Amino acid sequence: MLQVYLKELLELTRDKKTLIFTILLPTLIMPVIMFGFITLTTHIAKKAIDEDLSYALVGGEHYPELVTTLAKNNKLRKVVVPEGAGSDEAVRIVSEMINKDEIRFAIVVPKDTLSILKEGLSAELKMLYNDSATTSEIIFGRINKSIKALKTKERQKRFSQLGLTEAQGKSINNPVRLVKTSTAGERESFGEKIGGFLPYILILIGLSGAMYPAIDIGVGEKERGTLETLLLTPISRFQLVFAKFAVIFTTSFVSVFLSLISFALMTLVFGPAIMSGFGAESSEKVGELFEALSSISLTDILLMFLMLVPVAAIFASLLLSVSIYARTYKEAQNYMSPIMMITIFPLILPLLPGVKLDWVWASVPVTNVSLAIKEIFKGTIDMQILLVIFGSTTIIAGVLLAICNWWFQREQVLFRN
Amino acid sequence: MLEVKNLKKRFRLDNKTLRENKKKLVGHRDEREQGHWFNAVQDVSFSCEAGEVLGLLGPNGAGKTTSLRMLSTALQPTSGKIVINGEDVVATPLAMRKQIGFLSGTTSLYHRLTVRENVSYFGKLHGMSDSALKLAIDDVFELLDIHSFADKKADALSTGMKQRANIARTVIHQPEVIVLDEPTTGLDVISAKTILEFIRSYKGSNVPVIFSTHHLHEVEKLCDRVVLINQGVTQFNGSLEAFRQLDDSHNLYDIFVKLVDDKGGA
Repeated sequence: MLQVYLKELLELTRDKKTLIFTILLPTLIMPVIMFGFITLTTHIAKKAIDEDLSYALVGGEHYPELVTTLAKNNKLRKVVVPEGAGSDEAVRIVSEMINKDEIRFAIVVPKDTLSILKEGLSAELKMLYNDSATTSEIIFGRINKSIKALKTKERQKRFSQLGLTEAQGKSINNPVRLVKTSTAGERESFGEKIGGFLPYILILIGLSGAMYPAIDIGVGEKERGTLETLLLTPISRFQLVFAKFAVIFTTSFVSVFLSLISFALMTLVFGPAIMSGFGAESSEKVGELFEALSSISLTDILLMFLMLVPVAAIFASLLLSVSIYARTYKEAQNYMSPIMMITIFPLILPLLPGVKLDWVWASVPVTNVSLAIKEIFKGTIDMQILLVIFGSTTIIAGVLLAICNWWFQREQVLFRN
Repeated sequence: MLEVKNLKKRFRLDNKTLRENKKKLVGHRDEREQGHWFNAVQDVSFSCEAGEVLGLLGPNGAGKTTSLRMLSTALQPTSGKIVINGEDVVATPLAMRKQIGFLSGTTSLYHRLTVRENVSYFGKLHGMSDSALKLAIDDVFELLDIHSFADKKADALSTGMKQRANIARTVIHQPEVIVLDEPTTGLDVISAKTILEFIRSYKGSNVPVIFSTHHLHEVEKLCDRVVLINQGVTQFNGSLEAFRQLDDSHNLYDIFVKLVDDKGGA
């Protein structure tokens, strides 16, 4: 049996497709794509924060203080709108300029702005920008920030007219405030937010890492004509099944293990650099995040891996059964898509609001493992439920392996061609 | 010695075949189909003594490959007996596999492994020690002229080289019976000659060799015995000389066609 296992592994390591799907994809390609995407997004966002913005002002004469405030901002470049244009015509022109990318935004000041402010009411300045641009929210934030001093000055003026201090003035809108105070620690809170994605990614990587080897050593061997020869060796069918199962299980688990290591390394190496690009505030948040993550112990990580063991065994048994049933490589590949879809559904459930690990969800295969990993990540796992999930998932894996073995004994399956 | 007695094998027809059969006219259906079943092998018996080469003949679909697969333990007979040196193959297939060397018509090598790795792998699966395996590899590679490409990966080999490597893999564990299903099909003259010479080397040894073929000149050159299977039944079982005497022409081709036509095969 060991001979079969070692030979299958040797053959797989000599296969470029296996190396790509089992090792390169989870360890290098996926993280590189992910971090590449994050880096690109960061770069675009950083550019939107730092770039000089050209803008137009329509009706600036109705609010001279605004003109002065915007002019003081050296990152803003005012573009002059053609003179003599009426208000509506000016708005049409600047809108066109925004859509043609000649300017990034425009502010339209109504005629009665000053009189409204004098009356102590809220004046409405209209900011025109192209909402379809990915960085539009960042630009809106920058402009809002640059006129913040103007707004503060106006507010303080009104408070002093009313004889109120700054604090009293601010309390007018919120005389009674309800302040949220979470009893959850940083880790639990963070785990609740992203803990559902971790098993989703890990289990799918485990599945994709098992798929190609399962096809190759099942129907691939059937199609190449080597299976019949193997069946004629003095090794029992169960030993053959178990050796093949072990190979698929190994590749599945290696994929998960390598991807986890790779993601961890990439996060440690590139994570702080990327987040610092967003400024000091983000760097501080990254610090808090790392502090939260550092409370995940080695035991927690081992528990997560332990939960993935029976899941990888389920995939290995299922995929080997399907692969050995198929007549051709193509037929096996056709069966893989529904398996992928069926697996994704129970993995999505833990991401839904309100789905928490209890005895009901603990009875749903795959979802229970996903929820258990999330709870381990949060540091709130109930060990009793964990043991039950591990036990029940192991039993399912065992039953599937027994079915696979029965499948492998049948002439109708082995010689279906 | 190998003995095959009243071998039968039937397969359950799948729904697609059953649907297609319903559309066929009664006279166009294979006589071996009965309801949901197909009697691929209905009654096959023959024997082969140690040192004899037995040629298994028959038209396509006659039941040759199914019979050989039962002989090799790949398929379990529905009924009948296969005995090698007094031991029942059907009763203890796992133990008997060490005594059988089988090359099927569709067999192949692991194309990512070298010839040496392929042959070693099967030797080890048959429980051979490293030292015994090394000696056996040297011998069989010499006999089949494999040394020049022994360390090449199987996917880089020509068809003839692959088939020689396949035969090396078949006999590496020194089986007591060798079964070859159409070993020279699709090979060039030189490769076919090497393989036929290899089969000939077993003549007079302790090992019976059964090989199926469509090339009657190979039968004429090599075989001591001839078995003709048609419609899943043994139609002829005897010496090559007795087969020749079935027709005044003594021409194997004519005899084969006459026998198959009389029975309504092919």
